Amino acid sequence: MATASSSGLSSDLAGGADTIVARATPAGRGALAMIRISGSAAAEIAGVVCPAADFSSGWRASLAALLDSTGRVLDHGVVIPYPAPRSYTGEDMFEVTVHGAPYLVEGLIDACVTAGARRAQPGEFTRRAVANGKLDLVQAEAIRDLVAAETAWQLRNAREQLAGALSEAFGGLRKELVDLLAALEASLDYEAQGVEVPQEDLAEKIASCRGAVGRLVSTAGAGQRIRDGAGVVILGPPNAGKSTLFNLLCGTERAIVSPHPGTTRDVIEAEIDIDGVRMVLRDTAGLRAEGDRVESEGHRRAVGAAAAADLVILMWPLGGARGEDPPDAPSGVAVIPVRSKADLGDHETAPAGWLAVSCHTGQGIDRLRARLAEAVAGEISDLGGAVAIAARHRRSLECAARDLDGCDPRHPELATEHVRWAVRSVDELIGDICTEDVLDAIYRDFCVGK
Amino acid sequence: MADADLVVVGGGHAGCEAAAAAARLGVSVILVTLHQSTMAQMPCNPAIGGIGKGHLVAEVDALGGLQGWAADRAGIQFRVLNRSRGPAVWGPRAQCDKVVYSRLLRRVVGGLRGVTVVEAEVGDLVVDGGRVRGVILGGGRLLRADAVILTTGTFLGGVLHTGALRRPGGRLGEQPSSTLGSALAARGIELRRYKTGTPPRLSRQSLDLEKLEIQEGDADPRPFSWRSRGVENRSVCWLTRTPRKVQKIIAGNIHRSPLFSGTIEGVGPRYCPSIEDKVVRFPHHERHTVFLEPEGLDSDSIYVNGLSTSLPTDVQDDVIHSIPGLESAAVLQYGYAVEYDVVAPGQVAANLESRALHGLFFAGQLLGTSGYEEAAGLGLLAGVNAAQGLRGARPLAPAREEAYLGVLVDDVTGRDHREPYRMFTSRAEHRLVLGVDSARERLMEHGHRLGLVSERAFHVERERWRRRETARAALEETRLNPDAATRSAVRRAAAIDLTTPSSWAQILRRQDVDAEAVAAGLGAFDGLSAEDRRIVIGRLRYDGYLARHERERQRLHRLRHIPIPGDLDPGGVPGLSREVVEAMARDQPRTLADAERLPGMTPAALAIIAGALSRRGGFG
Repeated sequence: MATASSSGLSSDLAGGADTIVARATPAGRGALAMIRISGSAAAEIAGVVCPAADFSSGWRASLAALLDSTGRVLDHGVVIPYPAPRSYTGEDMFEVTVHGAPYLVEGLIDACVTAGARRAQPGEFTRRAVANGKLDLVQAEAIRDLVAAETAWQLRNAREQLAGALSEAFGGLRKELVDLLAALEASLDYEAQGVEVPQEDLAEKIASCRGAVGRLVSTAGAGQRIRDGAGVVILGPPNAGKSTLFNLLCGTERAIVSPHPGTTRDVIEAEIDIDGVRMVLRDTAGLRAEGDRVESEGHRRAVGAAAAADLVILMWPLGGARGEDPPDAPSGVAVIPVRSKADLGDHETAPAGWLAVSCHTGQGIDRLRARLAEAVAGEISDLGGAVAIAARHRRSLECAARDLDGCDPRHPELATEHVRWAVRSVDELIGDICTEDVLDAIYRDFCVGK
Repeated sequence: MADADLVVVGGGHAGCEAAAAAARLGVSVILVTLHQSTMAQMPCNPAIGGIGKGHLVAEVDALGGLQGWAADRAGIQFRVLNRSRGPAVWGPRAQCDKVVYSRLLRRVVGGLRGVTVVEAEVGDLVVDGGRVRGVILGGGRLLRADAVILTTGTFLGGVLHTGALRRPGGRLGEQPSSTLGSALAARGIELRRYKTGTPPRLSRQSLDLEKLEIQEGDADPRPFSWRSRGVENRSVCWLTRTPRKVQKIIAGNIHRSPLFSGTIEGVGPRYCPSIEDKVVRFPHHERHTVFLEPEGLDSDSIYVNGLSTSLPTDVQDDVIHSIPGLESAAVLQYGYAVEYDVVAPGQVAANLESRALHGLFFAGQLLGTSGYEEAAGLGLLAGVNAAQGLRGARPLAPAREEAYLGVLVDDVTGRDHREPYRMFTSRAEHRLVLGVDSARERLMEHGHRLGLVSERAFHVERERWRRRETARAALEETRLNPDAATRSAVRRAAAIDLTTPSSWAQILRRQDVDAEAVAAGLGAFDGLSAEDRRIVIGRLRYDGYLARHERERQRLHRLRHIPIPGDLDPGGVPGLSREVVEAMARDQPRTLADAERLPGMTPAALAIIAGALSRRGGFG
């Protein structure tokens, strides 16, 4: 179908035929590379590019000669046809695995383009899978996160989201909202039939929906920690060994360490992975009342970082700082209290609740790691898979929450408006209602070939 | 040589509005009806309007239709339903004298210049090259015309059921239309079987009125129509409730109801269930309300609203006589069910014209609706659009966000339905802007432009809108500063403490203020009728919600003006499902609004098409 030029569609939307081709493995030289082709002309293109492979015997690998655009043999490769609808996109598809020479891969893609395919946009395969009902939008986002996963928790969450845990939670919420809507509508439309819906029933249903939205919103914080990492701030008096601990947890010499108090003057951060949980660790300037202007600015920033953190490691050195009062813990943030320099503490033991560590001997460091992972992941594992992870999810859920807050069962025709909008917010989440902008934003982060 | 420009088949609520509207647009009309004496009959409940339905009546009236005016003239009791809710869902309803109503419309429609009424059965259409050219009457006589509107009601293949008794009929005592259905099917029009029912009628003299609860009309009865000066209540209704015993009576005879024995295959309306349906589906409801409505001032007949049934007559007797107040009731007519053919959805365009046969229009129950009001609305639109088509003028097709009529047409033509379609306010996404009190502002201009609303009436209405606007502006503009004198004045008037500078509009919007009482004393409302004052206040209170609707309305309006170029290849737009691509290729929508009506179209798919068009530079 060579309609592109005649219809004048801009190149990024329709380069011509509706069959797309892309390399699915990373660019560059490799042992193997895979390209995939999807669309109504896939079988036809396979007939040109790898005529020896039998497209009709789907889901079976076969070794076939691959022909370039002039019909010469490029190489041999493994071809797997996926006849529609049992394919990733729901369309006719096939995948070719070849030796990973960039020249070879390009030649094969060229051959497909000559045979009628066009190069795919990032995320276009997944976009087609959504359009054809193979995935919903939330699952499509999971695919993106799965490909991008760098920690065990990110992987696990993306996998559960792909399996439908979050889609189900959103679907359940939608159903409850629609039930509420039905009750409200019944109270408006059936007076003539003698049907009465008690106001208390409506109030109860509204509260229940609001609770369900609230629970999902509350997972958004954990979702963000899984995706972007939990913020962990090391806080304590000067010369408590904060930077030494920071370097030890990072496994690098990021922070400058010296025996002089006040060496660290700004907030230094690094991403770390502890037991599959991503954390953004921040080292801060020591807390003390006096000091020069730079130091007191550092103090201010340290307190600010702690207030914004998910978790604070509060350090109080043993030994050298004997007799001093423990530093004040910031309020409203989870704290792991740590007594550092345990090797210098003679026979002094850490008071109850304080974890004794020594960066010098490594004492207590494994326990600290375990406490950190538990403090962040312990909460996540309670969520059972339905974790609202994207900022998009949070925005829609918060919209729904606001609308439900505006529902007054004494004014059902107005409450109905709010619930209709709340349903709409949830529809946007699932992808039943979508603007092109939202779709573009979601698929922009995809790789080509996915 | 044509006998008329237009033939209207059927003289019910749809046929009468269609013939009248077309004739008033200057088209010559032959109205063919089986019996002239039963034109504009009310074969079921003796009432016009209600929740959702009253909205349709108001819109038909604003466009210059007849139903509201006839209901005002024939009305014997007027009530606004849902009065305890907000004004958007108020549903005016009039109990009518059936005989008066039917006679009024028969006289008006038959007396219109350009309308000829012919008593006959229509057996077939005359078709030439994909265009309808007239109809063939039962005796073989040919009526040539350039357009035909079919409004066959329940007569197409009609079958009546009472218990096991089954006989052909369109209504009790009237023969159905037997050959037209197969003629339509032979022309490729797909039909579908629907069912509806009607309750028994009782003799008023035989009721024990002492045991019944009286239901009065409104203290301030208001007419539907701009043509009417005023109306008055001339009768009351009564209500009673079914006793627990009814469950047992029905349960013991349920196998004898054609609904449950499998004799009736047609799909009945869920919202208007028969008493046997209600008992089976809501076994925990021990009592069901029964409304007793007089069928006329001089009539002895009482309509038993809530007791629709097709049980055998002996069971109907038992059920009726078990109900308090009806112990010795004499049954004038037993309840029965009727099965009939309707045009399956998807075959009719938004102007109510057949997609297959040019010049053929449908209206009323034939399109799968139920109710006099739905029928009148569709009839009016079909009449206007047939006439507009003959004159080569633009059709009248209100949008969903503009009128309940738009919702009605969009739903019955564009969406699948599996049961008789009745209007509800919940079907209108833009319910808050589609109140009965705004019908004239929304639609009267169309009626005036077409010539169905007089210049004088339109002028009078426009003046009212202007006065309401002035009052509203005054309320927004008056600033009240919370000084001691103003505070005490506001406290006296509105029983609230004014703490920040506010306008009267802001104060009246507050839910804790009795706006009606406050407004009565405000100078801004001088010269406004009580009704106009109420309308102004009602809209103030909806303001926050209306802003959202306005944005949505504008969005839809834009969609309607975005053309889809004929050379757009839907297969080349990534992200569309195969189903949508196929529907686009088949139906070739000309605007995004047309595309929105396609089967399988989702808002997401529409957004993708809009995106593709915008990137082409089609709109900004």
